[in-house]
Amino acid sequence: MDIIIIGLLLGATYALMAMGLQLQYGVARIMNLANGEMLIAGAFGTFWFYTASNASPFYALIGVIPLAFAVNWAIYRVLIVPLVRRARNQGQLEVDCILATFGLSFILVGILLAVFGGEYLSYSYLARPIFILGEPYGLNRVAAFIGSLVLCLGLYLWLHRTRPGLALRAVSVNPAAAGLVSINVTRASALAFALGGAVTAAGGVLLSMFLTFDASLGVVFTLKALIIVILGGVSDIRGAILAAFILGLAETTVASLVDPGLTLAAAYLLFMAILLVRPEGLLGRRSS
Amino acid sequence: MLESRGISVFYGRHRALEDVSLTVSKGEIVVMLGANGAGKSTFLRAVAGQVRKRDGGSVLMDGHDITRQPAHEIVEAGIALVPEDRGIFADLTVQENLILGAYPRRARPSETENMDRVLSLFPKLGERRKQLVRTMSGGERQMVAIGRAMMSAPTILMLDEPSLGLAPLLCTELFRTLARIKDTGVGIFLVEQNARQSLAIADRGYLLDNGHIVGADSATNLANDEKVRLAYLGA
Ligand SMILES: Nc1ncnc2c1ncn2[C@@H]1O[C@H](COP(=O)(O)OP(=O)(O)OP(=O)(O)O)[C@@H](O)[C@H]1O
Ligand SMILES: [Mg+2]
Repeated sequence: MDIIIIGLLLGATYALMAMGLQLQYGVARIMNLANGEMLIAGAFGTFWFYTASNASPFYALIGVIPLAFAVNWAIYRVLIVPLVRRARNQGQLEVDCILATFGLSFILVGILLAVFGGEYLSYSYLARPIFILGEPYGLNRVAAFIGSLVLCLGLYLWLHRTRPGLALRAVSVNPAAAGLVSINVTRASALAFALGGAVTAAGGVLLSMFLTFDASLGVVFTLKALIIVILGGVSDIRGAILAAFILGLAETTVASLVDPGLTLAAAYLLFMAILLVRPEGLLGRRSS
Repeated sequence: MLESRGISVFYGRHRALEDVSLTVSKGEIVVMLGANGAGKSTFLRAVAGQVRKRDGGSVLMDGHDITRQPAHEIVEAGIALVPEDRGIFADLTVQENLILGAYPRRARPSETENMDRVLSLFPKLGERRKQLVRTMSGGERQMVAIGRAMMSAPTILMLDEPSLGLAPLLCTELFRTLARIKDTGVGIFLVEQNARQSLAIADRGYLLDNGHIVGADSATNLANDEKVRLAYLGA
């Protein structure tokens, strides 16, 4: 039972990460390998904010979200737009983006190392137990869970209830037709990319409440995000959210029943199994 | 009025369209007839800003030069296109597709009116608001595509072979609908291989052959022309 609850608590943060990736890969069609670094940058920002001010790390969201939005907007405009303009087809764009964002991830790691140093960081926030069904859980995990759910829900409603949200979904479904209804696809993609980066960084803020991290941890989260994308399929946000929870559950199960060192290996086993059995993702349709 | 002045389009070194000039005014139906590969779709794409036009030609909308405008600005200028593949959002619902049609700034103030107008043209869409377009039949998708284009409050509505793949009865229905749209003051530019039915509702027509305009006349004259009968009417 406690495995399931810890898995679900973790899954919500992964779901937030999955939504960030869905915006970047599903709408803007950019596979961003610097995704994990953006998340860790959010965590570092929160560490710095918390140790300096001692105010609740939730307040860090107020600064991190707009900042990450602006940085990702700039990355899209400066780095990605020339690649999109140059690419002859989607395949070439994908390769170019993977190389460019892979390079970017090293730059970000370098910046984090230079600013914050190389040691493992963590801070103690709400480090008290809360009892759910008689078992104790870290209150900080529950707080991060609630924060993630609220952000996920807000984003979901924005995407499904507002005109700009609908426009982003239209670009994700059929970018070629988006121009026919006067959607500026470049601008919509920049917005989706920036928003995706902001959501990912927000995930970092929430994760930092219970996670020990260092500058090199980003790549682990990039890999997790990749697993979620393949597992859930990018066409449907619900698939990605489901995949996020499955990953959270699988990781906690292996960590508590087998060995904590094997979590990533287990995640990959799951990933390869899905790739072999259902390459279109859990909820995905076979492409025609 | 939509006016094309000497437009040419090349795909690499292949000339798909050369020196095409024509006009379409409000409240009239103009049809362009041409065989497969004549360049009909290329012309529509060129006007809609989806393919690059050679220097020299120009496209004007009510006197404004829109030759180099991107696709999304051309919709704002009042030109809506229903492309050959319908260009709908298959994974979204009927209602979402229609609302997206009203995304252009020009269409937002009149969104409710346009929605009412579209639903009275296609009552079926009102019953199917929540249905995913992916799960609809070819004829119903065509309604979504035309309905969505009408939601952008166009001055000129361009359609690429709208009767393609429709059963004869639906075809007749479609052409009747287009005539009703024309009566609301919209100018319709239609590219067709179904010469008989399209000439029956059209006011004027152009003949396109191998990238060139080779004939222009009133629809009645074209329908009675010996060469047109041979080439496009199979009689
Ligand atoms: N993207 C492209 N790249 C290269 N050549 C193209 C491209 N699109 C069209 N063509 C060529 O340009 C010519 C005109 O094509 P277009 O699609 O405009 O014809 P069409 O009149 O619409 O034909 P159909 O009735 O079959 O739809 C054809 O010879 C076609 O092969
Ligand atoms: Mg064609």
